[in-house]
Amino acid sequence: MKNPVTVASGTFGYGEEFDRYFDVSLLGAVTTKSISLKPRAGNKPPRLVETPAGLLNAIGLQNVGIDRFLSQKAPYLRTRNATIIANIYGHSPEEYAELARRLEAEGAADAIEANLSCPNVHDARTAKGAVLVSQSCEAITVYTQAIRDATRLPLYIKLTPNVMNIQEPALAAEAAGADGVCLINTLLGMAINPETRKPRLANIVGGLSGPAIRPVAVKMVWDAARVLRIPIIGTGGISGAASAIEFLLAGATAVSVGSMSFRRPDTALRVVEGIAEYLKRHQIADVNQLIGAMQA
Amino acid sequence: MRYIQDCEIVAHDLVAPKHWRMRLRSEDIARAAQPGQFCMVEVVETLYPFLRRPMCFSEIHDDGFTLLYKVEGEGTQLLSQRVPGQTCSIQGPLGNGFPIAPELERHVIVSGGIGVAAFPALARALAETCGRPPEVILAARTRELLLCADLFRSLGCTVHLATDDGSAGEKAYAARMLERLGPGPGTLVYACGPMIMMSTTAAVAARAGASCLVSLEAQMACGDGACLGCVVESKVEHEGEKMVRVCVDGPVFDAALIDWEAHNTAYDL
Repeated sequence: MKNPVTVASGTFGYGEEFDRYFDVSLLGAVTTKSISLKPRAGNKPPRLVETPAGLLNAIGLQNVGIDRFLSQKAPYLRTRNATIIANIYGHSPEEYAELARRLEAEGAADAIEANLSCPNVHDARTAKGAVLVSQSCEAITVYTQAIRDATRLPLYIKLTPNVMNIQEPALAAEAAGADGVCLINTLLGMAINPETRKPRLANIVGGLSGPAIRPVAVKMVWDAARVLRIPIIGTGGISGAASAIEFLLAGATAVSVGSMSFRRPDTALRVVEGIAEYLKRHQIADVNQLIGAMQA
Repeated sequence: MRYIQDCEIVAHDLVAPKHWRMRLRSEDIARAAQPGQFCMVEVVETLYPFLRRPMCFSEIHDDGFTLLYKVEGEGTQLLSQRVPGQTCSIQGPLGNGFPIAPELERHVIVSGGIGVAAFPALARALAETCGRPPEVILAARTRELLLCADLFRSLGCTVHLATDDGSAGEKAYAARMLERLGPGPGTLVYACGPMIMMSTTAAVAARAGASCLVSLEAQMACGDGACLGCVVESKVEHEGEKMVRVCVDGPVFDAALIDWEAHNTAYDL
């Protein structure tokens, strides 16, 4: 990556949606919406609720599927010279492995990010009754190894924060051969309309993102960084360079801008520029000097 | 071309209880905007409320545009406190506007409540390009919420008023008024308002063999097709998708494309 800034899966479409606002090749990478083997229609609406300094979503991984990703979306990103982190979602370790294999074979990704943590789908085959794959260390091991065996591309595992201790799933991913982890996916949440007594999301529960979750995400990055040897992509409520730098100081090697791209599509580019300005102002030669550099 | 610009608020007036008209300056956005398109309005500079609010261009001027909105929640409440001289960040124009089809013999606008915001710019464009101004059915709950009637009349439109409580015009729903006007196969109906009003209007138009376009509203995070939050169910696949996005596939849709039943169930109407 030419800089440590990407975008969080699901908040930037396939890159083309926002590339009319700025040159997406200026980002360290574009991380795509989760791609599955077959197209998915996603959940019924309503799918979004705004909450204090954030939003709840239950999109349900609506996506075009791998065939259209390979024939349309990836080639477009390539014409824009973007570095591609392809986020993948499957129903089994074999499906994840097949997605990774096909992406590598077609040259459609520079890295893989496996979404083992979407809170809004009900069909994940999980171990020991866990709701999400990444709530079970055994499942993380099985899934990560399957993808690892299928590809030589850099492999990142995106983990859920909805666990007792983030260090355990992070260590499981590392031990199973991941090149890095992405922390954090959304926090489970819900909202109810008091007038109608109905849930505000058709899916009832959703994933909370936005600045509201940032302190939780920073803490989880800090927790994981103290035990991992592999890099962390930190994400959760980054709204500008200052909050991105928080994640680096907590121990992230790179960051991804999430929901804030909805508010301002060029936020990720502003983070790239803002980090450069910060380094200059603090006379720091290399951004890597910031990683884990919190002074407690 | 799309812009994100800090636009100066030129005027901001309360035009009815909870209803505001805000005029903003931006030659770039005005030049690019089409009737029926919308913009994303940043209601505050801080991060709470977090998302922009989607609002259609009510009027498009040489040097800017006018928004007409109703205070519904915290975001619009905060927006209503902005005063002329301040700036407001606007992203747009976004979405697909109304197609202008001068070859059709009759154009009928059906407006319900704050849905009227979608129509002054359209009425002007139709009046200028179609040789004769459109007919307008202007419906609202009560008299004081019938907005823009004089504006439509100044464009030469025949305006048919209707209120739910009979305080002005006919005591009738908008779809019933349309039925009385007798639309036919050469008629194009444009509808914007509450979902139930649009679905009944679409049904009246369909029975009469008239075409009907609707301008939909939805909760929306980005306005650019990325978040997939603003989808509605379609009766037919659109580019291989059953879910269509209000922001980039719309907000103007052929009413025949929308699965009204699914939508009304989803939103408990």
